Amino acid sequence: MSKLKRSFHQPLLIGFVLMIVIWYVLHLVIATRTIPAPVETFDYFFRHLNPLIIHMGASLLRVLVAVILALLIGLPIGIAIGRRKVLDKLLSPLLYVIYPIPKVAFLPVFMLLFGLGNVSKVMLMLFIIVFQLMLSVRDGVKDIPPHYFKVMQSFSAKRQHQYRYVVLPAILPRVFSSLRISIGISLATLFFAENYATTYGVGYFILSAWMKMNYVEMFSGIMALSLLGSVFFGFIDVLEKKLTPWL
Amino acid sequence: MKPFITLDNVTYQVGGHVIFDQLNMTLDEGKIYAVIGPSGVGKTTLLHLLAGFIKPAKGHMTIAGDEIRDVREKTSFLFQDLGLFPWQTAAEAVAMPLKMSKDRSKTDTDETVDHLLSSLNILNCKNYYPHQLSGGQKQRVALARTLITQPDLLLMDEPTSALDAMTKETIQQLFLDLQSERLMTSIFVTHDIEEAVFLGDDIIILHPQGHCQFLMNKEKQESLSRETKAFYDQCFYVREQLKLGASKA
Repeated sequence: MSKLKRSFHQPLLIGFVLMIVIWYVLHLVIATRTIPAPVETFDYFFRHLNPLIIHMGASLLRVLVAVILALLIGLPIGIAIGRRKVLDKLLSPLLYVIYPIPKVAFLPVFMLLFGLGNVSKVMLMLFIIVFQLMLSVRDGVKDIPPHYFKVMQSFSAKRQHQYRYVVLPAILPRVFSSLRISIGISLATLFFAENYATTYGVGYFILSAWMKMNYVEMFSGIMALSLLGSVFFGFIDVLEKKLTPWL
Repeated sequence: MKPFITLDNVTYQVGGHVIFDQLNMTLDEGKIYAVIGPSGVGKTTLLHLLAGFIKPAKGHMTIAGDEIRDVREKTSFLFQDLGLFPWQTAAEAVAMPLKMSKDRSKTDTDETVDHLLSSLNILNCKNYYPHQLSGGQKQRVALARTLITQPDLLLMDEPTSALDAMTKETIQQLFLDLQSERLMTSIFVTHDIEEAVFLGDDIIILHPQGHCQFLMNKEKQESLSRETKAFYDQCFYVREQLKLGASKA
């Protein structure tokens, strides 16, 4: 097994084992039907794997589109704010005002503006990810030692070279940690985003099971969500190791 | 030797504080100039003016007959803290100026980089990141990065200040070897009088208020050994000149 694969699989396995242990202890201690046994849940999970994969696929696609859009919007704006003092003075206060607002509160507004379909769901997640990303990128750019740009100036570097050789590598670690945090939050909000006008998505699956008081099914959904998160985090870890080998 | 750099009545000030007032200087091609002087006298400022990072308030500066208006491609600058990026391996750092300036093939670039790293005895560290390199190795990588573009003017701001005594001597000797192989004018700032006497063909002493004094470094012309009385006599003489300038101020 390659080093990269090993570094991805090992922590994932440890995480899952720990989760199951904690879950099983809670199941034994609390002894209620609302916390089913892990074995029972696994059995349900694998028996209903096909429909669960479809739900996971729908959620994955929504988060993925939101992440890509957030990168396309957040990276250039974050870099611009970090590099230009005028933009920093103008836009940073706005970010400070918007960033702490719970974005789920905007859900009715998104539904009104973008309809009940996938767009409003993606927009909600985009809003969660993009502000965190912008602030991280801005701080990353501001933290670049000024003499790095002097070095580039001494080589008569053009602006695109400054971005290619200094700005982008400098902000990469922050981009990855920001993605980790914001993807975690956006997966948690799937629960809200997928509870209307859809029959696909892990959020819908969990809520539907909850309403039916089918806690084994609900925990299968929670497990699917956790698995989805692990896939995202694992992918980010692998990508980070590949793109930031100096760390 | 023909004049390469001329400074004609150059005045430079920061926030009303005059660093240089009508500074005049002529530096010859192919020589090594050591710039010494007390802290805050404008040694680094002089390098920055020559590099084109900053512009004088008055006066004219030329390199190879051309007015310095901006950063020149043929001028290289070795920074005091080296400015190696943590995300670049030694080979990537040295290749960067080539990749930015010319349309070279990857093979050609790699060969040129390997050749230079080899001549500086750091080919074995080509895939190391700065945090994996020793102080001397970092110095060589930074030096290689400045030399890869084959500059005609090399400016160095206290290039060996962070090195231990032995590494410093090795780097100084390496620099002299490189200088003898290339047609290059070098100007370096140092606080180390011994370094100035050992490396400099001429020594420029900057005194407060931008007054500058040229000393022909006789010791360098005659012998390159630190083990002579003449070497220490020259160091002592330079030190006396520095003290004299400071007392006049």
